[in-house]
This record gives sequence, C-alpha cells and structure tokens, in this order.
Amino acid sequence: MQKDISLIGIGQTKFGEWWGKSLFTLIEEAVDSAIQSAPCSALDIDFIIVANMLAESVNGQAHLGAIASALLPHHPPALRVEAACASGSIAVHTACALLESGRAETVLVVGAEKMTDATSDEIQTALMGAADSEKDAPSGLTFPGIFGLVACRYMHEFGLTREQLNLVSARHHLNAVKNPFAQFRQEMTPEQIGASALVADPLRLLDCSPVSDGAAACILSTKHRSPIRIAASQTSTDSVSIADRPTITSFAATKDAMERALDEANVSTSDIAHLELHDCFSIASLIALEDMGFAEPGEGIRWYEEGKPMTVNASGGLKACGHPVAATGIKQIIDISKQLQASGKTIGLAHNFGGVGATCCIHILQHSPHAHT
Amino acid sequence: MRTPDSPALAARALVRRRSRLLPGTLLSFTTVTHPPKGFPDRPRRIGLIELTDGQRILGMLAGNSAPKIGQVVIPRMHLSRVNPDGLRLYEVTYELTDRMAETATETKEFPGYILAFTGPSGVGKTTISLLLTKMLSDFTSNVPIVTSRAPKKGDDQEYDYVTPKEFERMEKSGALVAWAHLPSDSEERSYGYRKADILAIWEQGKLPVVVTEMQLLQGLAGYFGRRSILSFGLLPPGNSKRTMLSHLLHRLRSRGRETDAQIEERLLNAQADLDYFTRAADLFDHIIVNEDLDAVLHVIKGHVLELAKA
Amino acid sequence: MPSTHSAIVGFGMYIPQNRITVEEIAKHWGRDPKEIIGGLGVKEKAVAGADEDSFTLAFEAGRQAIETAGIRSSEISAIFAGSESHPYAVKPTSGMLAAALDLHPFSYCADLEFACKAGTAGLQIVDAFVKSGQITYGMAIGTDKAQSKPGDALEYTAAAGAAALVVGPESSEHAICRIESTLSFTTDTPDFWRTTDAPYPAHAGRFTGEPGYFLHVRQALTGILDVTKTKLSAIDHVVLHMPNAKFPSKIAKEFKISKEQMQAGFIVPQIGNTYSACSLLGLVHVLTEAKKGQKILLVSYGSGAGADAFLFEMLRDAPALPPDERPLRYISYGEYRRNTDKTAVL
Repeated sequence: MQKDISLIGIGQTKFGEWWGKSLFTLIEEAVDSAIQSAPCSALDIDFIIVANMLAESVNGQAHLGAIASALLPHHPPALRVEAACASGSIAVHTACALLESGRAETVLVVGAEKMTDATSDEIQTALMGAADSEKDAPSGLTFPGIFGLVACRYMHEFGLTREQLNLVSARHHLNAVKNPFAQFRQEMTPEQIGASALVADPLRLLDCSPVSDGAAACILSTKHRSPIRIAASQTSTDSVSIADRPTITSFAATKDAMERALDEANVSTSDIAHLELHDCFSIASLIALEDMGFAEPGEGIRWYEEGKPMTVNASGGLKACGHPVAATGIKQIIDISKQLQASGKTIGLAHNFGGVGATCCIHILQHSPHAHT
Repeated sequence: MRTPDSPALAARALVRRRSRLLPGTLLSFTTVTHPPKGFPDRPRRIGLIELTDGQRILGMLAGNSAPKIGQVVIPRMHLSRVNPDGLRLYEVTYELTDRMAETATETKEFPGYILAFTGPSGVGKTTISLLLTKMLSDFTSNVPIVTSRAPKKGDDQEYDYVTPKEFERMEKSGALVAWAHLPSDSEERSYGYRKADILAIWEQGKLPVVVTEMQLLQGLAGYFGRRSILSFGLLPPGNSKRTMLSHLLHRLRSRGRETDAQIEERLLNAQADLDYFTRAADLFDHIIVNEDLDAVLHVIKGHVLELAKA
Repeated sequence: MPSTHSAIVGFGMYIPQNRITVEEIAKHWGRDPKEIIGGLGVKEKAVAGADEDSFTLAFEAGRQAIETAGIRSSEISAIFAGSESHPYAVKPTSGMLAAALDLHPFSYCADLEFACKAGTAGLQIVDAFVKSGQITYGMAIGTDKAQSKPGDALEYTAAAGAAALVVGPESSEHAICRIESTLSFTTDTPDFWRTTDAPYPAHAGRFTGEPGYFLHVRQALTGILDVTKTKLSAIDHVVLHMPNAKFPSKIAKEFKISKEQMQAGFIVPQIGNTYSACSLLGLVHVLTEAKKGQKILLVSYGSGAGADAFLFEMLRDAPALPPDERPLRYISYGEYRRNTDKTAVL
C-alpha cells in the first residue's frame, strides 16, 4: 500500500427480505450508521463510491453515485462500480486508489442491493449478467446451475460426498447464531442441508446463498487514524465463462490475487487469524480454501471436518448472513475488523469474488490495538 | 432490461450455431430445477461439453440415457424457446449416447498450424502468399495445389498438375486432406492438398501456407481441426459489393489468364465468396483488405512471427 | 446440364425416440384398445418432444441425407420442404433449412403444403429442376409433427417424423436410384382440412375412404403403370401412403400386391402416420434394403385431394444408414399431450 489507510467507520443494515424498504432507504441506513461510528463528520467525506450490480435490471435505477451523494449535505463527488458479486470489494479497492493518489483523504464506500422486488425467475435471469451472455446464458443456465456443474466435476475429481458437503452450510449457520446482522440465525443440521430441495444437482437449496436486500458501508481515511488499517488490496480477473477455463475446480483469479495480497501485506497464510471467504455456494468455500493455499486440492473439506486455529466465516458467511450482491464485499471487511478487535489478533483476510471467480478481490486488514488517531 | 430474444440477436446466434454442430464428450452436467425467465418452466439438463474440435461449450442435454462424465454426446437441433412475438429460437442440444469417449481423445494430439489465405478470384492471394514465403523462407513454405485442370498461361508454380484419373485415385486412397470439385460450363476443375506435402513441411519445422477457397478451407478445418488453421480472408478494396466486384474484374482482366466467359464465371463465384465471409465468419481469424500490398504483408508477417515464437 | 432422368443420390430420416401406445391412448378415453388396434392396424406411434418441430425433424433427416450422398452441402442449390405443420405460417422452413444445412447461398427454396403428399410434391419439383439442368443437386423433404384433436380418431395415428432425399443427375457417381417416371392426379375433395388459426384438423369420417384415399390412389397407380407400360408383377417394392394399416392393405388386396412387395416400406404399425413424411419414410426404408436393378413403385396421397405416383429403379445396391442406437421410451398420455399441444407452453 502506498499510503496508510485506516478503516475509521463501519455500518450495515441487517440483511433479509425488507418489503418495506427501498434501495434508497437501505443505502441511507448503512451510510448513516457508518458516519455515526466514525470520528469525523459527514462533511469530512471527500468522495463516495457506490457498489451495486442489479439496480438497472431489477430496480430501473442507474446513476447511484449521484443518488448516494445527495444523502450528504455537501454533495461530494461520487461514482458507482460494478464487478458482479465482487462489486463491494472492488469499490474498496477503488477507494484505496483514490486515497493513495491523494485525490481524496476520506472516502465513503457503500454497497447495496434490493433484490426482493423481482420474481424468482427474473432474479435468476438478472444474476446471469455475471456470466457470459453468449456462451453461458443461451443454454438456460442459472448461477446455481453453473456451480452445479462445478460441484459435479469437483465430486468426480476428488470423490467429495454429499454428506461431506452438508457440513459446510451447517457450520456457517452455526456461526451466524451469534451474529445480529445475519439473515438466518437458526442452527441447521447437516441432515437438514442434505434433505433440502434440489436446485441444480448436486446443489440443494441450503447449499446456495439466499436472495437478500441489504447495504453495508465503511469509511476509509488517510487523514484520520484507527487501529485497523488496510494492509493489502489486490484484484485479479479470469475468463468469465467456465467454457474458457482449463479447469473448473480451481479459480486462477483467487490464486493470483492471494499471491499478490500476501506479498503486499508481507504476511503468509499462517499469519491469518480470521478469514471471511466468498461462499456464494457451499462448493465455493472448499475451492476458495484450496486456491488460497489453506488446503491441498480436494482437501478443503478438512476445514469443516476438523477444528483449526484460523476462523473461517465466523460471521456465518454469505449463506447465513445473506448475499445482497454488492454489499457482501464491504460487509466481509466490516466483519473482519470486528473479529480482529474482539480477539485482539493482528491479521485478517476478506476474500470476495464475482461470477465464477472471474473477478477476485482480496483485502488484508492489520489490527494494531495501540495505534491512535 | 435486455431483450435476449430480439431478431438481430437470433440472427447473430445462427453463425455461432454452425460451429456447435459437432459431437463431443461430457465434462460435467447438472439439472437446473427452475430455469431463468424466458425458458420453459421445467427442469433442464445442461452439460459442459468438449467438442471434437477442442472447443468447450455449455449446452442443453437431451435423450433418454443417464448422463455420465466422459460420455459421448451428439448434436441435435432443438427449439430452445419462443420469444413474446412468436419468433422461434433454435439451438443445438446434445443427445446422450450410451458410449463413453476413449480416454485417448481427452488429450488430443495437436497436429500443428497451417496458414490459409482465402478470397475471391483475383484478390491477390497467390501474389501475397508467394511474396510472404519468399520474405519468411525460414519459417514458411507454400503447399502446392494439386489440380486436375490443364496448365494455363500465367500459372506461377503454385499448382501440381495431375490427370483427372490420378486425382480421383488420390481422393479415394486418402492421400488428400481436402479437395473440391468445381464444375463449370467451361471446364471440370478438381483441386486439393496432399497430406504428404503438409507433413513434409512440418517435418522441416516450417509453417505450411495454402492459397484456398471456401470448400477447401472447410475441408482443411474438418481434417486438422479449426484451431490449427490461422485463417486470413482477403477482400478487394471497396465499401460496397459493387466496388469490390469491379476491382476484381479489373484485376482478372489484367491478369490475362482467362477468357471473358471464364472471367464472368469467376465473378459469379466471387459474389458467393464475398457473402461467404459473413456467413462463415467463424472460419476466419482475420479479414484483410488488399489495398496496399506492403501494408498487408507487414500485418501478415506480424501474425506469422507471433506464431513462430509460440 | 440437362439429363433425361434424375436419380436419388442420398437419403435420410429422423423419427423421434419417444413412443405412445394405442393402448395408452384408448385407456385414457375409456375405449377398448383391442378394438382400436384391430380397426386401424396400428400399435404405437412416434411422438416428438415439446422442443422438436417440423424444422428440427427435417434438419436431422436432411443432415443424414447429405452424409449418405457423400457430397458437400454447398453443392446442393435447391430445397423444397413439404409439411402440414410448418413452424410458421409466414417464414419458410426451407429457408431455415438451407441456412442450417449450409446449402449453397444461391439456392431455390420454398415451402409446400398438400396435406400428406407435400413431401412427394417436393420430390417431383427437384426431379424437374435436375432434369432441366437448372441445378445439379436438390433436396426434397417431407416433415411433420402432426396434430390431432384430443379424443378424435386421428389421435391414435397422427405421428411425427421426417424424411429427406437428395436428387441429382442420373449420371452422377453418387446415383443410387433413378426416378423413371412420375405423375399426379388431383381433384377438389373436402375429406380433411385445417384453417390457419385452427390448432387441429377436421376430417370427414368415412368420406375420407372411397372418395378420398381410394379413388385418388387407384387413379395414380393405374396411371403410372399405364404410362410406363409396367406390370405390377415386375415391381419389387411397393410403398403406399399409410394413414393407417387398413387403407394400404385394401389397395394391395385389390391390385393383388403381395405381402413381400409391401413389406420393406410398411412402417405404419410401429411409427404411425407421419403425414408429409409418411410415404417418403416408407421409401427410405425400402432404399436401405433394395438391390441393384430392383423396381420400386410409390403412391402417396394428400387430402384435398391428390395422389403422386413414382416409378424408381435401383442403379446399385443401396448403402445402409447408420444404425439408430437411441433407446425408445414409452410415455404416458399426459406427457404426450404436453409435448404435442400447439397452444401448450413449451
């Protein structure tokens, strides 16, 4: 990192089905909450970056940068970024670039999504925007379908069983019991996971992160200090369609972003105390752990079979917290910062990706409890 | 929200569809219980398939057999959906067979590259290929065109003349990798490329260069696989088809090789050739307008040297 | 170059892999299956899926025909597609086929309708185009995904399938079977009709027999034997249009055509009536078995009404078609209705 960037404010809405709240309301709630938690006032914000994927197709609303800017009395400059499900972390990455260049000293980043106004089949069509519209969509695939193909191949290559896969969502739900912002806070047994309805063979309903409304915001600054600083922000891309990949059980973008992030932060995998990874589907957790170097190929499931020192998705992950697409990347960073401050440990990592790992963006946070503003 | 089934989109999909009409091997499969909006609301089996020419695609699965990774699938035309205005969209679906692919095909041997120039008569492909192979004689070598027609004044060593009977014998014995019979009022013409000629050039570590037309190009792509051909389409200068054709007419006349009747016939074929570039767009990697010979040679040389490095 | 005769140089067919038994349909309507099977002589019929239609069926048959012909698809410069169930009222199946099969861009294309004889009408047209020298190779296709009103007698026999023939000059090295002669007999007879907006055809019951099928088939059959001065006893294979098993059997009895002569092309008991594809499918079945020198007689019938008759002679032993290894699946009445209803959602 070329400058010292601190995380000085965090805020989010609970994720869920918010029939009474519009996209604007959700954005406002998260933004207010983040400003409240920060040592600065709203007027200190030089720039706003909004992360969102579906507003044009589902809510008929583009131009979200200007929309968000109007929430603050001084209408700061604003823009919107999109990288499918990686929109949130890409927004943070963009904020870091503005801060490192000196164009801004305090940036508000907010990710929001309003998904429940559309019908189920409309949402599936809209989410396919994260895949290739010419290579993937014409066959009638949905996103769960694409990961169903990934899971089928993974099981063929590594012999993963249905019973083993059940453990992933079961663990995530268990973790969410203590998280007041999670959409689903009840425990689920592995048997319940395995008995849920088929969505895209072999994936079942409870292997898939839900459709949710929600927003998450954070404030990053080079002017104000906090115990949490951004030690690394790296992104990498890969071909969008799985038809263009040499393998579908490993995502090159994750491997590449991870290598560069560890290098930038000057840490290794054994230094990481808390991990929030992108479990859009249960199978993605296993592949992510393997691609990031926490397990050998085919061995990712060990993290759910055995106890390990590093926490994985202690918040409950996308599965239990909900996945308002563009809010997730920011929410992960918020959760890592909370986990570091609660445990007193030093290094945490947030792993966010879009599409089938076509964009991967990783942030490493460093916690220095005795740093002062 | 986008209209995925607009007429223009459907027309573009037709070009892609042609390249998907191949059998393949099933790499993975799933059943989507609730397909997205616009598709029939019934569970849909979809597979990731590697076709016989090496390309990978996603396609719907059909047939009464149960899917298995490694299974052979064959292409079938099917009605994918009907748009709100009643326009019917047909895609290729892949029917599951009871056969498994031989594991040898999973690691297909890549034969090597071939450089192909295609274009209407008179556009200058022979000139370009001869100049190119002279310029890059270390890397390239021309593949002679085997032909059953008689030598003509103006031919320039690009042909290998055989009798019609000899041509037929080569065709039947598998000595040719591609051939075309172009019947016409004025003469019967057969053209082709010898397998031995191409292999010999590869043995020398060089890139075979062919001057060809649409049928022969299809034949080469079918034999060696589309991916092994670096395919250049050459167009005459001109914005409209009329200007292009008049340019060709001028060239053909000044070439002095043919009678007026033969030229008229070549022009008719040229018309079809020009349409072919749009219809068979997937058979061409680059389309170049032959306006300035030096500029064209420079561009092609660049691509060839890139290939030589690889 | 004009020639005195044209010849079939390639043939192909496509029959969907699902079947429904007459028994299954009869049971649904509370009728005695034995009675129906006895009356029609049909046991089961081929059913196309909801994602198949006359274009997809024709495409598969056309593709096979080009393969057996051993010529490049771009050498074919005419295609005539006959059907009673063209996917569109306006937007030709033949055009879609010309593009999908990669025929020469400068091709003659048109769609035909003449009830069940639209396919053979197409054959007559390409025969003439080839003989005149206007084209070298042309394709004729009969294809149908036949519709029938639920509960109507036609429901037991209306089936789906397609047959394609590639025709060229008899001097072609690919020539398999010479078209010796053809004629047609036509009247205006209201035995069976369907208006553009009607999902199912209407028919005139017993009136479809004598004034319809029998009158026209008799005329065309005697006509072609007369014109070519051929005796029926010299014919090795006879193919007749098969709306059911009874009608062609009655003609055979009348004209003393033997079971052996009828056998190769008599496919209706297992496939049903594939309408415009029917007699052409019978011909394709004959072509896979026929030997050099054998003579084939074909009479097709189309309601409205007319009959086309052909006399063929094999120029060489026919090539075999690749075997169809697809497993058959027998479906329920519910699935049958879902797959065939024109108004149903895909």
